[in-house]
Amino acid sequence: MTWLTLRQFRAQALIAAAAIATAAIYLAFLGNTIRDAYDRNLVDCATACNEGAARQLIADRFGVTLMLLGAFLIAVPALLGAFWAAPMITRELETGTHRLVWNQSITRARWLAVKLAVVGGASVITTAALSLGLSWAAHPYDTLVDDRFTPLAFAARGLAPLGYAALAFATGVTVALLARRTLPAMAITLTVLIAFQILMANVVRPNLIEPETVTVTFAEAVADGRIDRMGYGPDGTVLKGYTIPGAWVITDSIEVIDGDGEVIGQDRMHACEADGILPEECLTAADAEFTVEYQPADRYWTFQWIELGLALALTAGLTAIAFWKIPRGLN
Amino acid sequence: MNTQILHTRALTKRYGHHTALDDVDLDLPTGAIVGLVGPNGAGKSTLLALASGLIRPTSGTIDVLGTRPAADAAQLARVGFVAQDTPVYAGLTIADHLRLGRHLNPRWDTALADNRIRALGLDPDKKAGRLSGGQRAQLALTIAAAKRPELLIFDEPVAALDPLARRAFLQNLMEFVADLDISVILSSHLLSDVERVCDHLIVLAEARLQIAGETDRLVAAHHRLVGPRGDLPDLPPGIDVIATDHTERQTTLIVRNTGPDTPPALRDAPHLDLEDMVLTYLHRAAGTTDQTKTPMEANR
Repeated sequence: MTWLTLRQFRAQALIAAAAIATAAIYLAFLGNTIRDAYDRNLVDCATACNEGAARQLIADRFGVTLMLLGAFLIAVPALLGAFWAAPMITRELETGTHRLVWNQSITRARWLAVKLAVVGGASVITTAALSLGLSWAAHPYDTLVDDRFTPLAFAARGLAPLGYAALAFATGVTVALLARRTLPAMAITLTVLIAFQILMANVVRPNLIEPETVTVTFAEAVADGRIDRMGYGPDGTVLKGYTIPGAWVITDSIEVIDGDGEVIGQDRMHACEADGILPEECLTAADAEFTVEYQPADRYWTFQWIELGLALALTAGLTAIAFWKIPRGLN
Repeated sequence: MNTQILHTRALTKRYGHHTALDDVDLDLPTGAIVGLVGPNGAGKSTLLALASGLIRPTSGTIDVLGTRPAADAAQLARVGFVAQDTPVYAGLTIADHLRLGRHLNPRWDTALADNRIRALGLDPDKKAGRLSGGQRAQLALTIAAAKRPELLIFDEPVAALDPLARRAFLQNLMEFVADLDISVILSSHLLSDVERVCDHLIVLAEARLQIAGETDRLVAAHHRLVGPRGDLPDLPPGIDVIATDHTERQTTLIVRNTGPDTPPALRDAPHLDLEDMVLTYLHRAAGTTDQTKTPMEANR
């Protein structure tokens, strides 16, 4: 059975190997570029060194690239679920070859078990290889900018991707057994997995453990260079993209209040502007501060393990459905 | 007595409201070469899919070689099944298929498989997707036979073949069966395909079993009675009237003698040939659905 599975999987395996090789070359190049930038700005820095500035520089230069790579890596398990797992079942059903192979001296449960182990294993290994490559390439960035807890980085590093890979594969197989047609099975698999990631990042993960809150003065945040954008309107002044090293700031839109707890409306900001005072100075003068909810850095691995466990539990559930379904025939 | 190759009781398969197979009781002895005939949509494929374990019955029981179909690897090893349209992996070569068979079957007969492919003149490196329908059927037959099963089941193996390939395939199959000493169940919507090779016959129509038994005995039990219109002798018990046909002057009855001996009333009545007999049953089955208000008994 292993031989047949490998023989049928040969083409996909070659494509995957080529894709991993290409990705490895690119990640090696990217990793070296990031390391060069890191060394030039921090290690070899002789005069007027400023870690905050170096961090900002590296974040600006590589942040978007790494974010896109993270998003791509989250998509990989879903794509493998849709393009490997689902057709692995439905193509047999559509060409009728299941009637050939299921009538050899091997039970359908064993047929499925070997398929799951070999192709599912390859799917997990592919994801793991890409995740490891990305983690290596991004290592200096992760140490310096330290935003690995944010959704796109979190799901692309460490243990979580392995769980997603297993889950995506089991989803593809189980959906295929129920839907029986390639295109619907692929579409449903992709939809389910995208929905899972969105739900996970926005609803489940922020609340896995009660988030902590912290109040920061505006002056501090500016001094550390941790505010990305700021805006003000009739409803008050709002910050976006505030970061805490290593932690995941959950509050998306952060309301700024002054020392007396009052909202800082746009009229106050306009008044400062009219006097030629910069907004930052204006807010600092008002003793502005803000409160955010966040998941602290030391919870990172706890969250990784929880997420892996959740994904594996769902994988087990879906696999159980598949094994329940397959001997009952597809009638 | 050995275990029966096929034993069913009240076997029924429904797909939603559609009944594909209704209340079938069958007993087929070991060593039989069984022809399963009936029009398209009669339930032949459903019966064979149930026998191969690809699907499960809605109700009733089915045992193949004394066990539930596809119950475990040992049971699967005892039954060779060639599905309709003889599916093979288009992307794999003939050699790959034989290797597949070797890997997946403990009793695989390498010599038999290799010799057959050679005898058929097939190139082992040829992709199965490039074979003709006849060659594909032969490949499927080779895989099923080299598995060395006790029972071979074929679902319409020759339906897609031209008459020449059809004949060659059946010829080949029978040589095989004689060599390997196995039981066979073979379905076709054409009686001519199976009557030459089978010693047992099952007639399915409208999802129901019409008649089943040994071919010779079936022929021996069916008679045609012709008499003046309306003036037929009273038939003794144990004789079923299958069909009645009136012309202006005479009445023709097709009857089946269910008893062990031929009663005097039937001694001089001629037998039907197999084809007429099967057609009679198919007509009767079709009639029961066309005129739903007239039950089968109305003919009796």
